[in-house]
Amino acid sequence: MNGMAGVLRRGEMRDVMEKYVRPEKNPGTACSGCGLRLAHRKVLEAIDELGLGLGDVVWGTGIGCSGRQTFVTWKGDTFAGTHGRVYAMATGLRLALPPEKRLILTVGDGDAFTIGFLHLLNCARRNVDMTVVVFDNLGYQSTGGQYGVTTPLGSRTDSSPYGAWEPNWTQGGFDVLRILKEAGATFLARHTVLQGHEPVESLKRAIRNRGLSLVQLIYPCVTHYGAQALGTRDLAKIYDWFRDRTVESIDADSSDSFTTGIFHDAVGSRPEFAASMREFVASVQKEGNHG
Amino acid sequence: MKRTFDTGNAAITEGAILAGCRLFSGYPITPATEIAENMSRRLPQVGGFYLQAEDENAALHICNGGSIGGLKAMTATSGPGFILFADPFGWAVSSEIPVVIVNSQRVGPVSGITGAPGQGEFYFSRYLTHGGNYETIVLAPNSVQEAFCLTVRAFYLAERFRTPVTVLADQMVTDGWETLIIPETDEEFRGMGLESVPRRIHPGPEFYPASDAIDIPPVVLGHNTGAACSDWTPTDRGHDTEDVTWQHKHAWRLIHKIRNHRELIDESETWFLEDDPEIILVAYGTPSRVVQSAVRAARKEGLKVGGIRPISLWPFQDALFSRKASYLTVELNWDGQLVREVQRAAAPGSSVHFWGRCGELPSVRELLAAVRRLKEGKALERDGWRTEAW
Ligand code: SF4
Repeated sequence: MNGMAGVLRRGEMRDVMEKYVRPEKNPGTACSGCGLRLAHRKVLEAIDELGLGLGDVVWGTGIGCSGRQTFVTWKGDTFAGTHGRVYAMATGLRLALPPEKRLILTVGDGDAFTIGFLHLLNCARRNVDMTVVVFDNLGYQSTGGQYGVTTPLGSRTDSSPYGAWEPNWTQGGFDVLRILKEAGATFLARHTVLQGHEPVESLKRAIRNRGLSLVQLIYPCVTHYGAQALGTRDLAKIYDWFRDRTVESIDADSSDSFTTGIFHDAVGSRPEFAASMREFVASVQKEGNHG
Repeated sequence: MKRTFDTGNAAITEGAILAGCRLFSGYPITPATEIAENMSRRLPQVGGFYLQAEDENAALHICNGGSIGGLKAMTATSGPGFILFADPFGWAVSSEIPVVIVNSQRVGPVSGITGAPGQGEFYFSRYLTHGGNYETIVLAPNSVQEAFCLTVRAFYLAERFRTPVTVLADQMVTDGWETLIIPETDEEFRGMGLESVPRRIHPGPEFYPASDAIDIPPVVLGHNTGAACSDWTPTDRGHDTEDVTWQHKHAWRLIHKIRNHRELIDESETWFLEDDPEIILVAYGTPSRVVQSAVRAARKEGLKVGGIRPISLWPFQDALFSRKASYLTVELNWDGQLVREVQRAAAPGSSVHFWGRCGELPSVRELLAAVRRLKEGKALERDGWRTEAW
């Protein structure tokens, strides 16, 4: 990254990183130039701007580049889950945690939208209080670059050498966020990490929501998606491709673009699951033991 | 004491609740569905949570999540659900988190026969996840009362050892009706030989020491200890590492915290072992009830027969088989599983035989016939494709 913005951001990054990230895990495992560090920082900035401390957040992680970059980085209480199942774990954990604790999961697009989608949908159905941040690198990059359900059609990857042709969940009239909306999620947003402060604002809203929030944060993978699908490892070129593809409207045609913004804001519209569970249990107990 | 007449499913439910279980997550499956049903009724009465999961994989993950939040948790299933535990079971083993798993074995493989007993997961319960590098605890009840007691024990061991503990039952144990005695006071609880430990909280942020020590509280999140809970190879701070030295330390802890405390785990019942048996019948779970009767009947006939029933299946109790004898395992499967382990453990010079069936129990008469043939030095009966020999 170059220019003034880059210099300022690096300064900020140190601050939130130092404040919240275990020193031995700073700056993390992402490849040099990868947008994942920016993505990680956006989440920390949102936490910081909400005035949350280490004791206010429990942080869970999935597998893949996003898992590697973020797991066991949070200085507070943290856990690393299995691939795609962290949503189910978080459901159990949510029942045990005090309601005021914020539960944040940083996962990848494969984790959330393919292997773990069943569990994520059920979290949406129940409206379990957690914030799922999907660090979307447009495919399976930690395994060397294979296509996934957010990989743009036509992309050449190691498993789509002739160009990705399978229907995905971001083009052709599909939007994975719409599926989650129908399933019951109460806050949904999509941004790219290059959109400055906008993603941070959405993340803040997501974290404040007492229900299932999901923020899809698309970021550039330099090592695989850049090199294989875009034919370059040049950061400036990759970032330009991202900016050109980004549309600041969530309703725009997504056939050739990343549509961004708040997709669904139904904060407070549905009961939260753990709260409902506690109410239900209390009501059974009040009515007496029916042995 | 409360004396009732009930099923193994009810016994497991009451045992779990008495042991402090406050989260159950499961997916309906014959013949373990009744455990879920009972839990859905009983848990809210005691302030606990019943949560029907989208599949068994999620069920155990939900239990794991509840456990790292400080709740004692349990799931229950049968074979086709048990196979989906590989992922969360491994996570709990490696992260060293207590959780209790019940498997009511039915006839397999796959869907098999739903409402009939099988014993096809003897080895699978030992190797329920990939990668090796761990030891595990499996307990096998053969009655309704024992299903109750071993469920309490499973929770007790899970807490002390920071690990999943499996109760390996079968359809007859869980669906069967028998007298069930439930203690109503702490004194009665202890009087029945039952033990329980409350969930304690690891002070963090340091991870478990590289030792075989037990009684170290498991990691619990939400108490601002800076606790890190991860299935990745941990350093002493719980961080992930790719270093083989740390991996070895981790594996050593997982294996030897269990193997070096066998006195807390090993449990068995034996019949006429001190009475110079030449033939020793071996069984766990429901078939052991028939074996017990067969051993007594054989003794009445003057045959020198004994019996062994491992109650804790894993770690396997090799010491039970230190006598040179002719061993006959009686199992609810056609392929022979327990027999392989007995063959490995049996004293030199022993001979080891297998009598198998699936979906229904052997009769005392059939087992006596098998014993007589062994005594006469003959091979076990084969009846066309209905082979009973291994
Ligand atoms: S492989 Fe790609 S997405 Fe993963 S860390 Fe490297 S640059 Fe980032």
